[in-house]
Amino acid sequence: MHPKKIKAELRKKLGLDLPIFYFSVSNLSTSDTLYRIQDKYHKATLEHLTHKSGNWSKVSDYYKELLSLQKVHMKLNSKDIFESQTELELNTINEAVNQVGFEINNLLETSEGELIDLSFSKIDDKLSNYSFLSSLNSSFENVKKYKNEINISEDKWRTYVPKINWYGSKNQYHLWLFGNGKDRKGLLRGDFGISYIDSQPISTKIWQKIGISFSLSLISILLAYLISIPIGIYSAHKKDSAVDKGFSLVLFILYSMPSFFVGTLLLLQFANPDNLAWFPVSGIQDPTLFDPEWSFWTKIKHRMPFLILPIITYTYGSFAFLSRIMRVGMIDVVSQDYIRTARAKGLGEKKVILKHALRNSLLPIITVFAAIFPMAIGGSIIIEVIFSIPGMGVEVYNSILNYDYPMIITVFTISGFLTMLGYLVADILYAVVDPRISYK
Amino acid sequence: MSTQNTENFSFKKYAWNQFKKDKIALVCLYLLFSLVVLAVLAPYIANERPLYADYKGYKLYPAFASESRTDSIFKSDGKLDEILQYDITDWRTLDFNKVVWAPIPYSPSTMDRYNRDYVSPSGKQRFKNKNGEITDAPSKFRHKLGTDGIGRDLAAGLIHGTRISLMVGLVSMGIASLIGIFLGALAGFFGDNKLKMPRIKYYFTLIGLFFGLFYGFGHRKYALADGFSNSIMSGMIELMLSILVLVLAIVLFRFLSKLIKVDKLQEETFVPIDTFVSRGIELLNSIPRLLLIITITAVVERSIWIVMIIIGITGWTGIARFTRAELLRIRSLEFVQAAESLGYSAKRTIFKHALPNALAPVFISIAFGIASAILIESGLSFLGIGVPDDIVTWGSLLNLGRQNLEAWWLIIYPGMAIFITITIYNMIAEASRDALDPRLKS
Repeated sequence: MHPKKIKAELRKKLGLDLPIFYFSVSNLSTSDTLYRIQDKYHKATLEHLTHKSGNWSKVSDYYKELLSLQKVHMKLNSKDIFESQTELELNTINEAVNQVGFEINNLLETSEGELIDLSFSKIDDKLSNYSFLSSLNSSFENVKKYKNEINISEDKWRTYVPKINWYGSKNQYHLWLFGNGKDRKGLLRGDFGISYIDSQPISTKIWQKIGISFSLSLISILLAYLISIPIGIYSAHKKDSAVDKGFSLVLFILYSMPSFFVGTLLLLQFANPDNLAWFPVSGIQDPTLFDPEWSFWTKIKHRMPFLILPIITYTYGSFAFLSRIMRVGMIDVVSQDYIRTARAKGLGEKKVILKHALRNSLLPIITVFAAIFPMAIGGSIIIEVIFSIPGMGVEVYNSILNYDYPMIITVFTISGFLTMLGYLVADILYAVVDPRISYK
Repeated sequence: MSTQNTENFSFKKYAWNQFKKDKIALVCLYLLFSLVVLAVLAPYIANERPLYADYKGYKLYPAFASESRTDSIFKSDGKLDEILQYDITDWRTLDFNKVVWAPIPYSPSTMDRYNRDYVSPSGKQRFKNKNGEITDAPSKFRHKLGTDGIGRDLAAGLIHGTRISLMVGLVSMGIASLIGIFLGALAGFFGDNKLKMPRIKYYFTLIGLFFGLFYGFGHRKYALADGFSNSIMSGMIELMLSILVLVLAIVLFRFLSKLIKVDKLQEETFVPIDTFVSRGIELLNSIPRLLLIITITAVVERSIWIVMIIIGITGWTGIARFTRAELLRIRSLEFVQAAESLGYSAKRTIFKHALPNALAPVFISIAFGIASAILIESGLSFLGIGVPDDIVTWGSLLNLGRQNLEAWWLIIYPGMAIFITITIYNMIAEASRDALDPRLKS
């Protein structure tokens, strides 16, 4: 099949031949059917020409004539010409035909007056030199005529009048959200569309990748909480002691370390034959050894060495952040009256801190808990790229670099949704921790 | 206040005294100054062209001249001897009578073809001397921090990277602060039920906004694109023109609304400006910022300025929230009420009375924001997107190190540079928080 036809069918399948939204704002000169043009460079050319002249119908004539010129040109066959012409060499003919084709393509993709004139003069030159190109003559004259009409058109004022085009429900957004009742079910019914890269459903792709990212972020957040809460409690308890000051400084330094630096440092130190080759450099499994039939525990055992460095990188940042919040929260609580009361009535220090103070100091760090959900879907792009972990981060990163919009939009949608969910969970947890908070 | 000497009490002085007590923060402040000096003087600290050269009797200042300069060198009898093209001359091979080199005699993007393939700082380095022989590099011309795969000097890259980093922090947070403080102040001061205007004026403002966007940005999109593709300056001028058109359209329509005298439409109505701003903040916050920035930088042209602008326009939410919260508090204080009851305009009350008293906590958020802007830029460069390949940044150097773990100097030094800069900003932000807002002291 002709590549253009394949492209047209693909566009139809993906719904790209539709307008983007229910309506669009443009000016009086533009056409409301411009979105139907397939080639984005042609589209840009037409848009700009219309913007310059203010007369869509003339631009459209010009474009159609150019296309027909291109069609006539395509029918030219150097071999046939060579057989009917005796005095010219095949190479010369080929070159002339190719150059004219090249200029026609240029014309379709440029809206700059000077470049158009340049192409015109080059084609003119070829047409007058080689008689075998005469079949192009009439069409080319028309093209020039239309271009001239565009130039002298005095409809520039039309570009200053805004116009709102209404497309109705036949648009990409509607299709994406509600589907078309046939092959597309729409986002609301759980269909995220298909990827531009490999035509697989987005949801399948996400399900394949999200597991690893989610486990990583969950493990690291849990670890971070496990380490940071005791540290925070301890340094608040021993406030201004040498240990507290030491902890504060170390945490502050950790907090300022960029994760990509830490990740690379870990690789440099622990996954490098020059230093210590304790851990593998990249991936999450050894493809030569890994067997999908393995039991869950064997898999975990096999993957463990691959995951240790990423987990450390994942964890340390949130750990430093959480410890600092925890410490501040704890200090705040410990200085309050009811803690003094608890101490005054003779409770042991352990009981005061762990029973009375801890619960209230948990409030600030709950907020952070809300962040893990969106982190799982977006993955931590940088960390996954450093350690070549085949998770959501790398997936999203690649889809961004490849302009795979359905994937990008899906990730944005889901992470937006999950952020909201995270806020909700945090709000509920607030109420659990602090009975004074209620949402009635 | 009662215990203090109220006559000479100034908040600025008090805050500065508090800040000075934190010795580490003070050191950080000095370090920041030296970073700024380093950034400003970068072309004279790391440059392959000498600062001063006496060449065949000519006194030249190549490092201070523009790169495209050419000098004609004449012999003593007046004949043309040679032409020095500043950008392609290999200055190291010239026979100078007297020469003062920059402390680091390499430029960040020139490739030293005798020291390709990751030459280590301590390893053997080659050098082509005046006679054209390849020898061990003399200590003046050693790459003191090593080179990368194509022979670019790391030390020069780091020095020039300081420029980029500081500029990213400054420009992007400048943009973010402008947007954030403006929107936050409007939202906080007016809330949902304080900004009243006749219904017709409200509607006409919206219409004016539509027309302003149409003429300023829709109609001028080719002018804007051309401007930005020519140079960043002309692009900025076009952008200013567009914003001017936008403002003019809104002003015009607000004026027109006065001409319509229908009682029903002249009723006062509330403008829920707080709702607009707060929902906008939530909308932007629900999108993972790094993902958004990567997506935008992947689509648009690669340029350091565009990266700064994107970081700026995605980073204003925190500042806006702080400003809003602060103004919500301040607008009920006596001095603002006094200003209002004196009949000052809202503009004057906000910008002359309320806002200056709200800026302390906002300043802290800006300082933290600068650290995160630098972090984001180096993260982007580390991923190899956003900043063009020919611009050397700390992140791109670190990326080179990641691809070749043997070149530890490409990991340690740029990483430390990023880390130290971020620590400095965080320390200063922390200390100024303690100084400006004692309630938050940790």
